[in-house]
Amino acid sequence: MSENTKQNYLNHPKGIMSWLLTLDHKRIGLMYLFSGILFFFLGGLLALVMRFELAAPGNDIISNEVYNNAYTLHGAIMIFLFIIPAIPGALGNILLPLMVGAKDVAFPRLNLASFYIYSFGALFAMYTIINGGVDTGWTFYTPYSTQSTSNVVPMTLGIFIIGFSSILTGLNFIATVHKMRIPGLTWYKLPLFVWALYGTSLVQITATPVLAITMVLLMLERFLGIGIFDPALGGDPVLYQHFFWFYSHPAVYIMILPAFGIISEIIPVHSRKKIWGYKFIAYSTLSIAFIGFLVWGHHMFTSGQSVFSQIVFSFITYFVGIPTGVKIFSWILTMYKGQVSFTPPMFYALAFLFLFTIGGLTGIFLGAVALDIHLHDTYFVVAHFHYVMQGGTIVAFLGGLHHWWPKSFGVMYNQTIANIAALGVFIGFNGTFFPQFLLGLRGMPRRYATYDEQFVELHSYSTFWSGILGISIFIAVMNLFWSFIKKNKVDPGSNPWGGMTLEWTHTSSPPHPHNFEEEPVLQHGPYDYDKVIVEKTYKK
Amino acid sequence: MSEHHITPLKTYLIIAASLLFLSGVTVWVSYIDLGSFNIVLAMFVATVKASLVAFFFMHLLWDDKKNLTMFLMSLMFFGIFVTITMLDTGFRGDLGLNPETKDPINKRAAFYDTLPLTDTHGHPVDEHSDEHHEDKDHH
Ligand code: HEM
Ligand SMILES: [Cu+2]
Repeated sequence: MSENTKQNYLNHPKGIMSWLLTLDHKRIGLMYLFSGILFFFLGGLLALVMRFELAAPGNDIISNEVYNNAYTLHGAIMIFLFIIPAIPGALGNILLPLMVGAKDVAFPRLNLASFYIYSFGALFAMYTIINGGVDTGWTFYTPYSTQSTSNVVPMTLGIFIIGFSSILTGLNFIATVHKMRIPGLTWYKLPLFVWALYGTSLVQITATPVLAITMVLLMLERFLGIGIFDPALGGDPVLYQHFFWFYSHPAVYIMILPAFGIISEIIPVHSRKKIWGYKFIAYSTLSIAFIGFLVWGHHMFTSGQSVFSQIVFSFITYFVGIPTGVKIFSWILTMYKGQVSFTPPMFYALAFLFLFTIGGLTGIFLGAVALDIHLHDTYFVVAHFHYVMQGGTIVAFLGGLHHWWPKSFGVMYNQTIANIAALGVFIGFNGTFFPQFLLGLRGMPRRYATYDEQFVELHSYSTFWSGILGISIFIAVMNLFWSFIKKNKVDPGSNPWGGMTLEWTHTSSPPHPHNFEEEPVLQHGPYDYDKVIVEKTYKK
Repeated sequence: MSEHHITPLKTYLIIAASLLFLSGVTVWVSYIDLGSFNIVLAMFVATVKASLVAFFFMHLLWDDKKNLTMFLMSLMFFGIFVTITMLDTGFRGDLGLNPETKDPINKRAAFYDTLPLTDTHGHPVDEHSDEHHEDKDHH
């Protein structure tokens, strides 16, 4: 507060209430960030409990019932409380207004409301845990979910509420992109992270209401006995899966599109080269978002749906591979003949390229109906979605955190430790999940606490490396937090990686409470490394 | 573009009359047995009515075209959901090649054993199910 130059959004205004009632998108972003990380650790702890149970074939640590609760809560927490809200809520909130040169998002009050709606929904989820858990799996398939005596209602209610937070954030971002850009910042000059958030928001506002409807129908059936999904009441259990996956397949793009956006920022900056195929990347985002609405039945190949729709869904699923491939090749071509520097964000981006490609390709395997009949509900599926969600989304999220950390907090972490942790994440991840592909191919079903003797070797490998993975992620995050204590300050004008987008070139680190001291004037496109030289202002 | 459009009273009255007329149509077609097409027709008429309200009473037609796009998109996504889901429910059971699995699942559900089978007007078509009549309240 003393001198104007030292004022930034972290220290001005002061006091706990100024945080809890803040309308500043950056502070709201931080609140999402810290609650997200909290749930990430909670979900991770549950995962480790399951992995240690699976180290040996019998019921060694926990009972079958506890195991059922563990995987349900792990899935629900990771997906609904961490991955879906975290990237748009945290990084999206902090960066979107900065990237379009705005003072804030279009509706700051709505933004704060979204955060509290999310917290309120999270309370229901936490209540579920205290009250003895829920054992249906994160998909809440009927008929079991209408019969189970566990906490199906509080959990689905929590998810219903969190859905509204998702919708409102999406709405806010769409309005921000349309209305808040500075003059001259045309659509094709937007950073690709903004395009990614825009695509994500479209999916959020079109798909999430269906999730809400599904959860309401489920409760109507449980409470009022209205026959919607239960055949004994004249309903159709497969219809539940249609409802659920009409939301949840698009939801996997809510999870991965922001990650794509982060990678599209990290790779050109750390290769100091103009992004290859800007428009291809931008439009592939929109086409993935659209095609994502037509493929949900690939989760239902063994549900008894009609053969006709099996064929249609299997066929359309292959099309998702095209825009996804376009992105992967564009990123690789961006690095070609660039000046790649092996900074922590770049390490995560490279890890992403490997891991997401494996995840995406095995998704295409599973999209082939004949193969999926055998692989459905085996560890092959478990490995597939961890490769895309953890190897893809979470790795990109960690990369994004390392990339924008000096921007958000004005401090630099220890880059050597960060690189070692990133390597640990990469190796630990592959060690944990690659054996699961093999387990699945050999017939190990998912969601069991015990297994046949023949699987013990692969399972124990997986457990061993999951320990390494857990420790590496812990070190990576602690290393970031350590920078608050070590106070290795970057100077306020600094641009440690030589980024070209407005958040690097036109505001201090950490940014001013109103983002920019004066309205920024655009001087070049987001990746014009072929035209302009931007200095990297941080040396180790 | 933000200047306000003033709709003449006549337009409002015409739209109101069309809404009343379409309500009549909804009632009238419900007396014609078109099988499962009845529901499609009812939904179609309802959609037309809702669109008239949105376009004229809520001024969507003269509003920013982005709002219109949003409205049409939501109709499109609803269409996608219903149509593709019906590729399943309408063809359940191996394209009808296997007589065992030909009927959609709910036609053979336990629920239907406890109710008298009726046609769309509620006239019983199956005499032996009368004795189960009261069961339907006991769930
Ligand atoms: C490259 C495009 C992708 C294709 C073609 C694809 C295909 C599939 C298929 C066919 C299944 C069903 C397997 C089964 O249950 O038998 C599946 C499961 C799954 N996929 Fe993907 N996938 C892709 C990308 C992604 C992404 C990007 C994510 C998330 C970030 C994701 C998350 C999931 C999840 C969570 C499941 C399992 C759901 C469950 O049953 O619990 N997938 N995928
Ligand atoms: Cu899917």
